[in-house]
Amino acid sequence: MPARRPHRVTMWPVGKFDAVLSALEGPARVVLPTLLGLAVAGCSQEQSIFANAGTEAAQVAELFFVMLVGAVVIWIVVMAMSVYATRANATVFSDKAGTRLIVFGAAFPTIVLAALLVWGLMLMPKLRRPADGPTIAVSGERFWWRIAYDVEGEPGVVKSLPAGGVESANELWLPVGKRSEILIGSPDVIHSFWVPAIAGKMDAMPGRVNRLVVEPTREGVYNGVCAEFCGDAHAQMGFRVVAVSEADYAAFVAAQAEPAAVTSGRGADLFLANGCAACHTVRGTEADGAVGPDLTHLASRRTLGAGLLEMSEENIAEFIRATEHVKPGVEMPSFGVLPQEEIDEIAAWLGALK
Amino acid sequence: MIHSETRDNLWTLIAAPTIWALHFLVSYIVAAAACVPNVAIFQAIAGPRILIAVITAIALVAIGLIFWRARREWKGHGGGSVHDTDTATGRERFLEFSTLLLAALSFVSVVFVALPALFVADCR
Amino acid sequence: MSDATTGSGGAGGLGITEADKSDPATPKFPYPPKPATVGASHVNQDDPEVRKAQEERLIWVWDAPKGWKYWSAVNNTEVGLWYTATSFAFMLFAGVLGLMIRVQLAVPENDFLTGHFYNQVYTLHGTVMMFLFAVPIFEAVAIIILPQMLGARDLPFPRLSAFGYWCFLIGGIFVCGSILFSAAPSGGWFMYPPLTTQERFTPGYGADIWLLGLSFIEVASIAAAVELIVGTLKCRPPGMRLNLMPLYAWYVLVVAGMILFAFPPLIAGDILFELERLFNWPFFDPERGGDPMLWQHLFWIFGHPEVYIVFLPAIALLAMIVPTFARRPILGYSWIVLAAVGTGFLSFGLWVHHMYTTGLPSISLGFFSAASEAVAIPTGVQIFVFLATLLTGRVIFSVPMLFVSGSLAIFVVGGLTGVMVALAPFDWQAHDTYFVVAHLHYVLLGGMLFPVVAGVYYFWPMLAGKTLSDKLGKTAFWLMFVGFNVGFFPMHFSGLMGMPRRIWTYPEGLGLELPNLISSVGAFVFAAGFLIVVFDVLRPRSKQPYAPRNVWNAGTLEWLAEQEDKGWGVRSIPIVTTRYPLWQQKNFVEDVDMGRFYMPDAEELKRETMVTSVLDAEPVQCLRVPGPTFMTMWAAVFLAAVFIFATFHWWYMTIGAMVLATIAIFVWLWRGTALIPEKGEKDVGLGLKLPLYVSGPKSVGWWAMFITMVGDGTAFLSLIFGYLFFFTIHEEFPPAGMAEPGILWPALSLALFLAAWIASQMALSINKAGGVLLARALIGGSALLAFAASAAILAGPYFNGLDPVVHVYPATVWVLVIWTAVHGAAGALMLIYCLVRSFAGRLTPEFDIDIANTALYWHFMAATALIATVAVALLPLAS
Repeated sequence: MPARRPHRVTMWPVGKFDAVLSALEGPARVVLPTLLGLAVAGCSQEQSIFANAGTEAAQVAELFFVMLVGAVVIWIVVMAMSVYATRANATVFSDKAGTRLIVFGAAFPTIVLAALLVWGLMLMPKLRRPADGPTIAVSGERFWWRIAYDVEGEPGVVKSLPAGGVESANELWLPVGKRSEILIGSPDVIHSFWVPAIAGKMDAMPGRVNRLVVEPTREGVYNGVCAEFCGDAHAQMGFRVVAVSEADYAAFVAAQAEPAAVTSGRGADLFLANGCAACHTVRGTEADGAVGPDLTHLASRRTLGAGLLEMSEENIAEFIRATEHVKPGVEMPSFGVLPQEEIDEIAAWLGALK
Repeated sequence: MIHSETRDNLWTLIAAPTIWALHFLVSYIVAAAACVPNVAIFQAIAGPRILIAVITAIALVAIGLIFWRARREWKGHGGGSVHDTDTATGRERFLEFSTLLLAALSFVSVVFVALPALFVADCR
Repeated sequence: MSDATTGSGGAGGLGITEADKSDPATPKFPYPPKPATVGASHVNQDDPEVRKAQEERLIWVWDAPKGWKYWSAVNNTEVGLWYTATSFAFMLFAGVLGLMIRVQLAVPENDFLTGHFYNQVYTLHGTVMMFLFAVPIFEAVAIIILPQMLGARDLPFPRLSAFGYWCFLIGGIFVCGSILFSAAPSGGWFMYPPLTTQERFTPGYGADIWLLGLSFIEVASIAAAVELIVGTLKCRPPGMRLNLMPLYAWYVLVVAGMILFAFPPLIAGDILFELERLFNWPFFDPERGGDPMLWQHLFWIFGHPEVYIVFLPAIALLAMIVPTFARRPILGYSWIVLAAVGTGFLSFGLWVHHMYTTGLPSISLGFFSAASEAVAIPTGVQIFVFLATLLTGRVIFSVPMLFVSGSLAIFVVGGLTGVMVALAPFDWQAHDTYFVVAHLHYVLLGGMLFPVVAGVYYFWPMLAGKTLSDKLGKTAFWLMFVGFNVGFFPMHFSGLMGMPRRIWTYPEGLGLELPNLISSVGAFVFAAGFLIVVFDVLRPRSKQPYAPRNVWNAGTLEWLAEQEDKGWGVRSIPIVTTRYPLWQQKNFVEDVDMGRFYMPDAEELKRETMVTSVLDAEPVQCLRVPGPTFMTMWAAVFLAAVFIFATFHWWYMTIGAMVLATIAIFVWLWRGTALIPEKGEKDVGLGLKLPLYVSGPKSVGWWAMFITMVGDGTAFLSLIFGYLFFFTIHEEFPPAGMAEPGILWPALSLALFLAAWIASQMALSINKAGGVLLARALIGGSALLAFAASAAILAGPYFNGLDPVVHVYPATVWVLVIWTAVHGAAGALMLIYCLVRSFAGRLTPEFDIDIANTALYWHFMAATALIATVAVALLPLAS
């Protein structure tokens, strides 16, 4: 069956190259554009740890650049010694000098490593400070992200994620300048929640609730991925993070709490008639399945299929028709048996659920 | 030639790193036991941190004694860093010097491992 | 076997008797040379006729069998060569898989492989490289060169090496072959549950194949570790004190010790894992109280030391190569010992740095971060020792040195990025990305593959008698070096650009296209370089003349090897008084060749090597080592059958194979171990007489048992760790209302076990004192007690109705009691074996190795029973 090739998401909406450069102040950071020249040129940075869109990412990037400069210097010195020593006509040093070199080789790393260790140890509790923003539950599921805003709960072991809150999927909105507390769990296998531009990753462990504090520093849309192998569609378990002002965040959550914009019509009927509701919820209709993503405001999201396709009616139709082709390994079966006309009706309805 | 007070062997050689291993294990267990429920993560854990400080002090003293003993006997055997003579003293001096180096490494490593308890005050 | 029942030593003289012919310690070849009639101290070693006769005997005794019987060989040189060749074959296979990965990732949204197949490919690439190449190549190389380096004729347990090899070969083929049926494991080489333990996520046999195949290979690794520890400590040449040992031997000692403590936790993990897969016991299922974190702990307690288990032996090769080409002894010998031992210890405090993102408290991460930084100190020291040795010597350049320099350049990069990822905050970004992929390849190829290739170029003349081509070597090096860096350096960038590892495809527009394309090109350049090495090794070179003996003019004993090599290892076992005898001892080579040292002859036509003391290598025993046999192969085949049948749930056949494997092992033991010699002691030359049979702590077998049981005990403690782990994470453990095994049965079992233990110890001392009848009664009684004790410990959970499927608590209790009961039954079988040996006249008051080793086993058994019964009976009271 010749598949209509869905339009993949290729370019991210905002070019952030200027912002990256402005972040690269200070002598250590000047090295970056040169070293990363090949990678930086002409592409957006929205999945890079250097995008500098969150406090944690920025502080870790700083740590990295200092370590990078140190590493380059150490490597050059060691290689210079190695190359010199293996030259046939090199000076032969005395054993005393050699022994001194060995003692230096023990003492120097001890001091450098101690300093680095202290830096790392001081950074860790800082990055895990108490949050002052909303608490959001994120559940990594094969192969998508369930998101619930404004939940109440705590991390812990032998525990499940807190229930309730305003449910959504695959697109996480965050207020800029606030430390949001993300509670992370999983009902099936281990996943790992990672938004490189904002913060480090945190695993979604079945039976545990983990905690990650994220503080976006600049508005924008960033890529998130699953970083722990979780099965065949692991590579296609992405999401978007949308960092907005506090006011916009509040407005967004309020809008998400509303029932679906359109709750009747042929598309909605076909949706219910074909069993989609067994897995999906569309608030305001009878559809209250809890297995797959909540579709109440599907069309308000930027992507479809967990960061895979751009949101459009055609892509929704394609995803319904050839799910397993578009996203191999996905848990949702393809509904290619339905007449194309019915698929289009369902897609049209879902595409209207802003 | 001064006869050494103790006869070194492979067990005395690994005594200092074994103390490091025990210190590491106990520190880990103390912290894990205090933090395992992973709730109330911002509550200070002063008790376990003091306990880690105490076992760190004990470990450092024990490793210091091993270092000091090895150094004294190694010096007594003439010191130096070349120990390839074919005598029981040569072997003894080699083991003492290696013990001394391992004790120094273990000492530093115990200090390293104690640092987290210094800088991290709770279970976050 | 009845013909052997009368042998009790002393009566045989020097002649070959009929009994000896059926004794497998005497190889069965046609036309044996005549045995010698005079002891080595009483012949004129300068008489060429005498030497000729000695050499004929030595060659005949040590020769590998011919024809199809060749595969029954057990010599370290043969087994080591098979081992090495097989590891490299697996490596090439995994290399092809690696190239497939690079083809797939060369461009975004590629469809060269499906995601489903890609997952098998990358899983197998990692698994095969780590378990079937990196670790075994250490064992393989050590089996070949350690005895040579120690001037020994063979390792103390040649048949154990052969058994390990066959396990490795069969297990490896089983694991690799699975991909041909698209049934390969696909969960990554560390197989995190619950993805891999639950049928709904990973249907099929992939995970079982991974698990059972590798468990089987772990058996081979532990066998090698036992062999190598005893070999290093007890089979050194006379005079080689600890301070004179080649550095390679220090590394082997440390690494084998690490295997002993690192592999058992994984075996424990494997047991839990497979019980969950086969019988639905919920160790890693959070819905029934399990926790996937436990697997990560057990896996990485193995997995991180494993990195050093891979790295240290390769660095050990550098420690031999560098002095040779610096033309001086190593500078900083003690510092290397410091580094090896220090790394060995510190590497056990790193495991959680693979788990920084699992949500553990910062303070816990801090401990592991600290140890991970600390371990860089001894690692750095080694590099500075090599630099100092080179700077203070007059370096001769050569192909091996080229690879040494290349490995330093690469490894230092890996070490420096290692320091970076050891810091948890940076690792939160880098973890599970291509940055880590780059880091681990820099460490493993720089720290292992390049040194091993340096070792191939260095040792090839010793093994094959002919040098490899300089020209090809240089070309290969530059292709490999450039290809490697082009291939793997860009991965640092792609990782930091946000590319997670283990993805089979990636979208356009993230800036990942260029680094990935460059990586793929580099990988092929690298592969081309490696193929040149393979070609150079395999190309026919019958016209090429033999290289001169000791072609690099090195100073250590392995270079005594003659061109072409003789099976005897060394012509006579030398007295060593220096670290580099070939450089520092006068007339050394000539004295060895003329047989002027110990054991220049095989008077009785038996394979013999010398056992010495641990500290100063004073001669202790002339050890008879067994010769060729197929029994080790059968033992491995049947054991493999156990694992393979279990994979496919063919339970009756599994049990049948288990019985056959046990029989094979007992036949092997019966015919090849604790043989009673024809005389008490033997003249080994230079006026020295050494006993032929020693038992207890003086014997190598006792040490092997001790070391094996340390490993076994570690596995048991890992299970106890699991039990306590569940105890700490649950508020209530056992959960309220859950059935418990009670006090009665565990207490009864403990009493019976302790009685069996006491009886076994009394049997040992009473037998020694001559009370054979009473000893037999005690041995028999002890075996019965052991069976009863094993039954009693199972009775607790059985009669109290603990159902292992409902919750992790009963499952853990069952695991502990089954472990103990199985060990009790094994202990009983060993006692029965002793009893039969006693009746057969093979175990006497004077010759009591069997009961001495069994009594040692029972010390460990008693400790196991004590801990297990206390844990299952008392822990419920504590909560």
